[in-house]
Amino acid sequence: LNTRRAVLFPPAKPGLTSCRSPEKETFTCWWKPGSDGGLPTTHALYYRKESSETVYECPDYHTAGENSCFFNKNDTSIWVNYNITVVATNALGRAFSDPVEIDVVYIVKPNPPEKVTVTVMEDKGWPFLRVSWEPPHKADTRSGWITLIYELRVKLEEEIDWEMHLAGQQKMFNIFSLRSGGKYLVEVRCKPDHGFWSEWSSTSYIKVPDYFHREKSTWILITVFSTFTFLILMWLLHMNRHNLKHCILPPVPGPKIKGFDKQLLKNGKSNQIFSALVVPDFPPATSSNYEDFQVEYLEVYVRREQELVLEESKDLHNSCLKSESSTSDCDSGRGSCDSHTLLMAKCREAKEGERQTDRECSPMRTEAQRRLKDWEEEALNYAHAGIVSLEMSSGRVKTWPSVFSPLPRYSSSPLDQQSSLQMAKQLSLSTSSYLTQPGHSTKEALGQSYWDLCLSSKQPHLLNPPTPVCRELQAHSDVNISSIGHKRAPAGPRSPALHTTEYVEVQRVDNKDTLLLQPVVQGCGRMGGCFQMPHGEVYSKVKGVDSDNVLLLQREGMGEDSCHKSCTVSTTQKPSGCIYTAVPVRDEMATMANGYVDTATMCTLHTC
Amino acid sequence: MAHCGGTNGSKLFTMVLYMAAACGAIPISDLLDRASQRSDKLHSLSTTLTQDLDSHFPPIGRVIMPRPSMCHTSSLQTPNDKEQALQVSESDLLSLVRSLLQAWEDPLVVLSTSANTLPHPAQSIISNKIQELQEHSKSLGDGLVVLSGKMAPGAQTISSLPYFGGNDIGQDRISKLINFNFLLSCFRRDSHKIDSFLKILRCRAAKMLPEMC
Repeated sequence: LNTRRAVLFPPAKPGLTSCRSPEKETFTCWWKPGSDGGLPTTHALYYRKESSETVYECPDYHTAGENSCFFNKNDTSIWVNYNITVVATNALGRAFSDPVEIDVVYIVKPNPPEKVTVTVMEDKGWPFLRVSWEPPHKADTRSGWITLIYELRVKLEEEIDWEMHLAGQQKMFNIFSLRSGGKYLVEVRCKPDHGFWSEWSSTSYIKVPDYFHREKSTWILITVFSTFTFLILMWLLHMNRHNLKHCILPPVPGPKIKGFDKQLLKNGKSNQIFSALVVPDFPPATSSNYEDFQVEYLEVYVRREQELVLEESKDLHNSCLKSESSTSDCDSGRGSCDSHTLLMAKCREAKEGERQTDRECSPMRTEAQRRLKDWEEEALNYAHAGIVSLEMSSGRVKTWPSVFSPLPRYSSSPLDQQSSLQMAKQLSLSTSSYLTQPGHSTKEALGQSYWDLCLSSKQPHLLNPPTPVCRELQAHSDVNISSIGHKRAPAGPRSPALHTTEYVEVQRVDNKDTLLLQPVVQGCGRMGGCFQMPHGEVYSKVKGVDSDNVLLLQREGMGEDSCHKSCTVSTTQKPSGCIYTAVPVRDEMATMANGYVDTATMCTLHTC
Repeated sequence: MAHCGGTNGSKLFTMVLYMAAACGAIPISDLLDRASQRSDKLHSLSTTLTQDLDSHFPPIGRVIMPRPSMCHTSSLQTPNDKEQALQVSESDLLSLVRSLLQAWEDPLVVLSTSANTLPHPAQSIISNKIQELQEHSKSLGDGLVVLSGKMAPGAQTISSLPYFGGNDIGQDRISKLINFNFLLSCFRRDSHKIDSFLKILRCRAAKMLPEMC
C-alpha cells in the first residue's frame, strides 16, 4: 500500500490559446489545460452563438488533435460571434476558462501555398528563376470567397538573409539577377485580405546553371582592352625613357674646379692633376713696381668720419686719375693689402659714395693672397671688437705704419686721447698678417711678414686711409695695444720711434713662386726706411720650390742687429750674388710655395 | 475593351462611366475591381480603428458591451456561410451591399461628431480615420450606383436600415467609450460583409480573367 497520501485539488482553470480558420468555412480552437490537481481531468468546450442562448458543446475533439475542438462546416457560421468556454473537470471540481468571443471571419489563417515550383528560364541569354505555386487546396479562391495575397522569399544556400518579394494575388513570380552556378532556396506563403499570414511553404531548391559563355565574352573584352592599354603605356614609357632616366637617376654633377680635368683624374697621377690646378701666371710676373706692394697705412678714428672721408676723397680723386688703369679681379675678398688696389678701391668708393662692397686685391689672385685675406679678416674682427681690447692672436700687433705723413693732418685737431685712440686703431688695423701656415703657433716661429691690412670699405667710418702719397715703408715698433694710450704713432714717415724688432717686408711675389723679401733694417732700405731684423729670427727669401718639394731659399745673411745688405731684389731685378740653398721642405710647406719660411729652424747650410 | 480614362473620384467616376457608355462600356469586372478595392480599404480602416480604440479600452467595457445582434443592421438577412453566400444572385448581393452601405451613412456622422470629444488618448487619430471612413464610404456608394445600373433591376433595391441611436452616445466616459466601441464593431462587421460580397461579385464577373480570383 502506498502510505503516502497526495493532496488532491480540483483542476486549475484552463485557457483558450487560439482559434483559427483556414478557409473561412471551418475553424478549430485549442486550449491549454491547467494543473489537473492530481486527479484525472476532463475538458469540455462549450460555446454559445451570438443570437441564441443555447449552449453547445464542441462537436469534434479529435480531428484537430489534443486539447482542441474542431468546428466543421455545419457548425461554423460566419459573421456570428461565438462565445467559447472550456471547462476542466475532475473528481473534486470544475474549472471554467475565461470566455472568448470570436468571429470566424477575423481568425482566418490559411494553409501554406502548395505545389511550389521553381524553374530556371532564360531571357536573352540571362537566366532567371520562375516560381509558381497554387493556393492551399482548402481555400476557395475561385469563387472569391477567399482572396489571398502571396509573398515569397529567396536566398542563396550559403547566405543567411532572405530576399522578400510581395507577389500580390498572382501565383507566379520571376526572380532576376542570379549568380551563375548558385544554389537557391525559395519559399512562399499567403495571407487572406483581412487575416493572418500562413506558414512558409516547404523549401524548394534550384541550382542555376553556369552561364559561362556570357561572362566569358565579357572577360575576353576586358582582357583585350587592358592589354591594349598596357601596350600603349609601355610604348609611352619607351618613348620617354630618357626623361624617366633623368628623373629617377639624375646625373651626378661633375667637379667644377677651374682647370680640373676629369680625364686626367682618371688617368693621370696626382702630381699632374694638382699642377694642372695651379694657375700658371701666379704669382704675377708683371713688371709691377715696388709701389704695387706699398703698404697703405690706414687711419682709423671714431669721429669726423665724414670730414675725413671727404678729405680723403679729395686726395683720392687726385690720385685716382693716375691709377685708374689698374684692374682688379673679381674675387670678393676684403680690401687687399695692395695699396695700389686699395687706392683704386678708395677712388671708386669716393666716386660711388659709400659702398659696402669688398675691394679687390691685386690683379692676380692666389692662394697666398687668400690666406692673407683670411688673416685680414681676423684682424678686422679684432678691430671690430673694440678699440681697447685689440689684440692679435699672437698677442702682439705688429703694425706697419708706413705712411705717417697724413697723420699730423688727421691728428691735428683731436684730443690726445682721441689721437691715441686713433693711433690705436691704426695700429690695430694695420696689422701684420702672417704669411705662414694657418696654425697660430707657427706664426711667430716662421717669422713675421707684415702686410698691411687694408680694411675694406665696409667700415668707412673706421677707415680713413691716409693719402696714398706716402708709400714708404717704415719701421715700427712692436706695439702692445694695451699700452697704446701713451704712444703716439710716428708722425712722419720716418718715425724714429722704432723698436728693436726687425721686419721683413714682402715686396712682391714673382711669377716663379718666389716671395721677394726685403729685410728691413734700420737705417737701410731702399726707400729710406729700414727695419731691424726681429730678434733671433732669420728671414730668408724663398726662391722657389723645386720638383722634389724642396724650398729653395735665398739667404741674405743672419745675425741680429746687423744691417743686412739688401740682397733683396728690387722689383725689377733678380737677386744677385746670393747663393741658393736648397732646403728640404716639409710636406705641409709644400703647399706654401708662396709662403714665408722661417729658415732659422730648418736651414742647415747657407751662405749668402 | 477600351477604357476612356477614369479616376477614383466619385463624381469623375460617374462622369467617366457616362462617357464610357458613349465610347464603350467599362467592363463590369473593372468596376467591381475598383469597388472591391474601395471596400477593402474601408474595412482595413475600421480594423485599425478598432485596434486603436482597444489599446486604451477600460476592461470593464468588455463585459457590459452590448451584443452585436443589437446592431441596427442586424435585421438585414445576409448569408451566414459560404454556401449561402454563393447561392445569392449578383444583383441581390449588390443590393445587400448597397443597403448596408446606405445604412451607415448617418451613423458615420454620429461617430464622427462623437470622435471629436471622445475621452480617449488616441482621439485625434480616431477622428481622422473616421473622416476617411466617411469619404471612402461616400465614394463607394457613388460607384455602386453606377454598378447597379449595369446589373439586373434587383440591384436597385435598397433596404432601409435606419439608425435610432441618435446623436448622443453617452454621458459619462465609460458609456461613451462603450457605445463608440459598439458602433465601430458593428461597422467593422458590415464593412467586411460589403467587402466579401463585392469580391464574390468580382470573381463571378471575371470569368475571362482567372488570375483575379
